[in-house]
Amino acid sequence: MLILGLLVYMLSYMYFKSVYDKKFDKWSLISDLLIRKAIFYDDDEIEDHTLIPVTARAEKLMRDKHFRKLLVNEITSAKKNISGISADNLKHLYVQLGLEKYALNNLTSSRWYIKAKAVQELTIMDMNEFVDQIYSYTDDKNDLVRMEAQSALVQFKGFDGLRFLDTITSPISNWQQIKLLQQLSHLPPSDIDMGLWFKSANSSVIVLALKLARNYHRFELHDDIISCLDHSDSWVRIEAIQCLNEIYTDETSDHLISRFLNETIKNQLAMIKVMQTIGTDKDVLFLLDLLTFENDEIKIHAARALVQSSKNGMISLEEYSKEVEYPINEIIMHIKGEIAA
Amino acid sequence: MSWQTFVLHLFTYGILLYSIILLICYVLIGAFSISETRSYLHKNSFTDYRLLASSTETPSMSILAPAYNEGANIIENVRSLLSLHYNNLEVIIINDGSKDDSLEKLIHAYDMYKVDFFVNQQIKTKPVRGVYKSHNPVYRKLIVVDKENGGKADALNVGVNIAHNDYFVCIDVDCVLEQDALLKLAKPFLEGATQRVIAAGGVVRIANSCIIEGGRLVKVNLPKQFLPRMQTLEYIRAFLLSRMAWTKLNGLLLISGAFGAFDREIVINCGGYNTNTVGEDMELVVRMRRYMEERDEPYKVAFIPDPLCWTEAPSTFKILGRQRNRWTRGTIETLRFHKVMLFNPRYGILGMLSYPYWLFFEFLAPIIEFFGTIGLIIYCFTYAINWSAILIMVGVLCMGILYSIFAIMMEVLTYNQYKGRKDILRLVGVAVLEPFLFHPFVVWSAIRGNIDLIRKRNSWGEMTRQGFATEKKAS
Repeated sequence: MLILGLLVYMLSYMYFKSVYDKKFDKWSLISDLLIRKAIFYDDDEIEDHTLIPVTARAEKLMRDKHFRKLLVNEITSAKKNISGISADNLKHLYVQLGLEKYALNNLTSSRWYIKAKAVQELTIMDMNEFVDQIYSYTDDKNDLVRMEAQSALVQFKGFDGLRFLDTITSPISNWQQIKLLQQLSHLPPSDIDMGLWFKSANSSVIVLALKLARNYHRFELHDDIISCLDHSDSWVRIEAIQCLNEIYTDETSDHLISRFLNETIKNQLAMIKVMQTIGTDKDVLFLLDLLTFENDEIKIHAARALVQSSKNGMISLEEYSKEVEYPINEIIMHIKGEIAA
Repeated sequence: MSWQTFVLHLFTYGILLYSIILLICYVLIGAFSISETRSYLHKNSFTDYRLLASSTETPSMSILAPAYNEGANIIENVRSLLSLHYNNLEVIIINDGSKDDSLEKLIHAYDMYKVDFFVNQQIKTKPVRGVYKSHNPVYRKLIVVDKENGGKADALNVGVNIAHNDYFVCIDVDCVLEQDALLKLAKPFLEGATQRVIAAGGVVRIANSCIIEGGRLVKVNLPKQFLPRMQTLEYIRAFLLSRMAWTKLNGLLLISGAFGAFDREIVINCGGYNTNTVGEDMELVVRMRRYMEERDEPYKVAFIPDPLCWTEAPSTFKILGRQRNRWTRGTIETLRFHKVMLFNPRYGILGMLSYPYWLFFEFLAPIIEFFGTIGLIIYCFTYAINWSAILIMVGVLCMGILYSIFAIMMEVLTYNQYKGRKDILRLVGVAVLEPFLFHPFVVWSAIRGNIDLIRKRNSWGEMTRQGFATEKKAS
């Protein structure tokens, strides 16, 4: 019986899906027409109270939630790809059809994906007036709702939208950080105050602050970055090390060297990589000392840093290889090969 | 009560109890799979993978593709790997002492030259004979390693030693990947804010009868041949139900050797792939999990249900038998290496649930099935027909069919690769026929795997492939 039941359900689903697909194709034409009409609406005519003509058929269909969903999907995907007056017209159409009311209603849904979709929809449609309502979701217990709300804040307020970082307690994943940084990359650089973020109890906030400092070359934050080298979370420490590749002074390498032995292997390797960029002749002795370490990964990174940070690096390396042949001789060949390539 | 009756009751009720527990497991797997798949699909609807494709923050990845006597298709296969959408990528082909002209073909086709390369033996391997890079900057992502033959695990270990990146993806060189496969596989590693994602797997699908052009899948077809078609259902069941359910519980023990991504640092800390087992893929995941559990570090093994990798399934009983024999030996070896975890609360879900499930329902199931059936037949011939035992067998059979049809339904409701109603009905037909025409062979191969292990026969078993269909062949 169960087997039959499943079979009937599956075949019925396929049948109704094909019926709905045909219906959706027709609806798609209606919504396309409506969107096209809005996009190409004469810019002189559109004002706050102007109505974009909507056919009676479309108005009737607006009562159907499936049609509304289809229309919203098409409006939002069109809005993502256009800007200027056409985008404003789409927003006008969205408000004229009262679609934002449904989105606001969905914000209170108990299902996270409906709530997150509503936030996303309001963001794409530039509904800045709801920013206060959306702000409350930036520390929501659901990660997707949280992510969409944080992205919304940045979309609406640019760098100022990052103010949620002052209070946020939930972690911001690397994925979300990529998303926020990508959104910010479209904006002119800002010298927003990040002092509070470097002192956050939330490691992910510090990591994001470090990435912002690195991407926007905030040299004045050098000391804050150095203080992160002593953080208890190795995620923060490695991010701080990598940040120093872009923001450094003459003393930066000393800070790294003084903390080197207390670090994990992964962070030690990151430190040596940074030394390739920021190292100078005064660091040669330290790098030569690393060649005595047991770990060959450290040796090869140190040799590379030695060659790249000092004019006499290769000579020092070759001198050293006379005393200790293996594996330094092979490492030298490897590095010479890299330079030649 | 005579001893014969006692044995009969023990046998009947033992099988009944086992079947009931198995049924409960299937129901739970179904429920967890629905929950995890729904959650994934909802989350995925918010994901824009173009973000990863354009970001400089994308995690760096190395593809490791061991090749042994793959000369016939190696050039096309490498071209397919080089065309994948991913920014921060290197492709490492490990020629595992091939006896054919694979290496020469690669050198010629990609304008390669031998470089001085210091191989840091973080994991001990067979000697590397040479590392090659291309003169042509177009192929700057490509590294070819030539080494002495040492088997797949050893070749992968060489790849791990040579890889420069934080994560590596191991694949079978003849697999066809979706263009965005790496973007999708990279995402779980970026999501772990509170727990470290140590490995991620994706769904492997059967490519027999599908149309492949220039190393890309252009049309999905249900396999026309009997065995690949049976395996199609088997793969849907395994990937869409079982692995998704175990992912929900964070108890996944197996990421297919054909396609999986790993955190390189953890793999090195664990000692890399074990060269003493033919089930190196499962063994590595189990060892990585054990490593994390023993250090009390929060971690996760992720799995995504998108069909990302297409592979050719064995189409003859001989090759299929070897493959299943090897899978059985790999499972037993892995369970044996890590027997300390069985019902050991120190290992959490891993010790209390995942390991016992694999022991009782993956390793023991074919043995119980085999001896149960033999026992029943003998009893019926010797004494009388045992109707209650037969009823249990019929019940188990129906349960198996129901489970398969549920898997097909999940496929229809989610990724629906086989669009036509006829194809779905064909799959339903497969679900009904499989217990009679295919499953007994799989059970028999598993029994042979057990016997071979006892006899200490530990060969990999040659896997010859027929090659994919191209548009021309299909028309």
